[in-house]
Amino acid sequence: MLRLIARRLLVGLLVLFVVSLLVFGASLLLPGDAAQAILGRTASPDRLAVLREQLHLDQPGYQRYLSWLGDLFTGSLGDSLANGQPVAELVGQRTANSAVLLLCSAVIATPLSIIAGTWSALRRGRAVDNVVSTGTLVLAALPEFVIGILLILFFSTTVLHWFPAVALVDENRSLFAQSAVLVLPTLTLVLAVSPYITRMMRATMLEVLDSEFVQQARLKGLPERVVLVRHALPNAIGPVAQVIALQLAWLAGGVVIVEYLFRFPGIGQGLVDAVTNRDLPTLQALVMLIAFVYVLCNLLADVVSILSNPRLRTAR
Amino acid sequence: MLRGAAAGVLGLSAVPLLTSCGTQPPAARGNPTGPPRRGGVLRVGTAGGGSSDSLDVHNPITHPDICRGLNLYEPLLYRKRDYTLESCVAESVEVSKDGLSWVIRIRDGILFHNGKPVRPEDVIYTYRRVTDPKKPQAAANLLSSVDRDGFSKIDDRTLRIKLKAPDVSIHDVFADYRIGIVPEGYDPKKPIGTGPFTFVNFTPGQESTFARFSDYWREGQPYVDELRIINFTDDSARTNALLAGQVEAIESLPYAEVRVIEADPTLRVLKSRTGNWNPFTMRVDVEPLRDVRVRQALRLSIDREEMVNQVLSGHGRIANDMYSPFDDSYAADLPQRTYDPDEAKSLLKAAGHENLQIELVTSPVSQGIVEAAQVMQQQARSAGIGIKLNRVDTGVFYGDDYLKWHFAQDFWGTWPYLVQSALGSQPSSPFNECHWVDPTYLDLVGKAKQTVDDDKRSRLLEQAQEIEYERGGYIVWGFLDLVDAYSRRITGLKPSEKGIFPLDAYRFREVWFV
Repeated sequence: MLRLIARRLLVGLLVLFVVSLLVFGASLLLPGDAAQAILGRTASPDRLAVLREQLHLDQPGYQRYLSWLGDLFTGSLGDSLANGQPVAELVGQRTANSAVLLLCSAVIATPLSIIAGTWSALRRGRAVDNVVSTGTLVLAALPEFVIGILLILFFSTTVLHWFPAVALVDENRSLFAQSAVLVLPTLTLVLAVSPYITRMMRATMLEVLDSEFVQQARLKGLPERVVLVRHALPNAIGPVAQVIALQLAWLAGGVVIVEYLFRFPGIGQGLVDAVTNRDLPTLQALVMLIAFVYVLCNLLADVVSILSNPRLRTAR
Repeated sequence: MLRGAAAGVLGLSAVPLLTSCGTQPPAARGNPTGPPRRGGVLRVGTAGGGSSDSLDVHNPITHPDICRGLNLYEPLLYRKRDYTLESCVAESVEVSKDGLSWVIRIRDGILFHNGKPVRPEDVIYTYRRVTDPKKPQAAANLLSSVDRDGFSKIDDRTLRIKLKAPDVSIHDVFADYRIGIVPEGYDPKKPIGTGPFTFVNFTPGQESTFARFSDYWREGQPYVDELRIINFTDDSARTNALLAGQVEAIESLPYAEVRVIEADPTLRVLKSRTGNWNPFTMRVDVEPLRDVRVRQALRLSIDREEMVNQVLSGHGRIANDMYSPFDDSYAADLPQRTYDPDEAKSLLKAAGHENLQIELVTSPVSQGIVEAAQVMQQQARSAGIGIKLNRVDTGVFYGDDYLKWHFAQDFWGTWPYLVQSALGSQPSSPFNECHWVDPTYLDLVGKAKQTVDDDKRSRLLEQAQEIEYERGGYIVWGFLDLVDAYSRRITGLKPSEKGIFPLDAYRFREVWFV
């Protein structure tokens, strides 16, 4: 079991290394460089040359990658090409903001979907089940930015004026102190990921409820609540954990569009900005971070499914 | 002395034009009257920008940069709403008879944000910083006639600027927003100017906070206590922020939203005419555009009225292949070029390019650019011209082929003629995208630059414009209106007949809360 986790960790590190190579290579393929992106239409040859030298863009690509990698081992993420500030500082604040957003979404979406899915399964074929099934299907079919736009229209600009339409975050105060800006982005993300978890939960729950050991438990005369909590749920949660992990990993990347829509100062917005500015160090840091979350979520999902499955738990 | 003094007499405007002295509020319809009130936090949504945003007044790139610069700093002279110049940091500027030196007198009692008075040394430092050959700033090439080593201090409030050759356009350059006066030893990270607002806080790509400068030289201004300038890269986020009451004003309202905002009783739309232009650029040194008949044919295959209607939703005026419409010398008498596919066809036939096929490089570098390319593609069909659109992203557009595209597009602001010509229509220009090198034209512009007499200079420039009209590389189909929006909680922003920048040229020092 520990050996399995160790092996997974090593593979994860390898994946991160490959990702860093790919991102660097891909960004070199992007037309234009940071100097051109920064100067835009004011990029006259003499000003370009001065800026390129300042940003070390005159060095060959592999040399810049190696110095980036070298810096990484000394714990430095380098300086942003866009404004010269340390990347760690720029990315740090954004990461914290996004983490808050993701955490809120995950903490709400996960139990909500598990409860909705279970409830729907228990009421199989009845009105509640139909409503949940249709509702999740509709939500799953809507892209998250459509959900976001509808929420903005309804809750902030046209019908009601309850929540801010865009997140104008005051960096000097804690995000929780200005929690109103979190409401609509969180709600959008919750509505975007819940349908998948709910539907998966319902499907596995139905399967488990139909299985022989649940029938056996019921025949033994156990109360329905005990059957559900002690026997059905633990067996249903394994496959669902995978879906939850996948959805959380998706959140880390999918947050880009939602952040753009709400002008939320998180990693998504930072990523768009870094690509536009060809700001390689910032781009690398952000992509690595997202890749890291992916690897971590998958690892956790594996661990949970192993723990919930005795056959895997004892396997060598 | 001040050029363009006659412009105010033209009486073009249906809207009252005010001088910048804002003690008397406008009596425009629906605007509250009464003396301006102090206080409040003004939040403004600007378009574009990103983490490469800068507070360096001498190197603004995006609209948020310009907006910040205009509120923190001030140049020697200031361009008013009627496009004439007024004194600002300089109380007066006077040119010598031979046109080779300018004497600048600094306004009495004008202070920097750090409480120190503006000295001749600061002005000299500013101009030497902009023209530093090791790190030329954005306006450096407009100061090419200035002798970098020829500055001299006359007394505590006066200095002399020497020129290598007479250059009347310097007078306009004194008012260039990219040459704000900064104190000696200026550090953009701790920005200090003489503008109406002082620096408090700045997060690149996000927002900046400025406070009221209590020692500002214009009596009583600014009225608000705090100014927050907020970046919005997304058009709908900006509009949503206004609708949700999170900002008081936004620039560049998407045309599709104009009716929605106009119908809202709590909001107002602010429209200004400008001399901004989004031309098609034809290189005059490559086949087949080298042939003037081909260029004229392309100019004739554009239906300018349709262009304004479709691309700008009617928020603009048609143009006549010439720029700088607010300049006194603008050649308004040349006949308006109209849509004439038949004439275009016969010109192409004569040039041996019947059924011309040509590639147009387009990129969403500014609002409406790609749309203009699409409309032109449609319209040119009637003249038998097949335009193949090559749509590239902005990174590619400004990439290695920038200024080398054969047939492409660009966007320009509102500049005086000589400044615009120096920026884009001369071999020494940093943005000569048409590769326009015409000896007769250069001779005329060169002479005009040295001609102090207004009438004589205007005549020379009219001839120069006629050459561009007859054989130039630009297709100037229209001048754009600026359409912004603001909440009725505030007042003081005024529409302009001769606007330059959005939101009344970001003149937030005249805004107050009702």
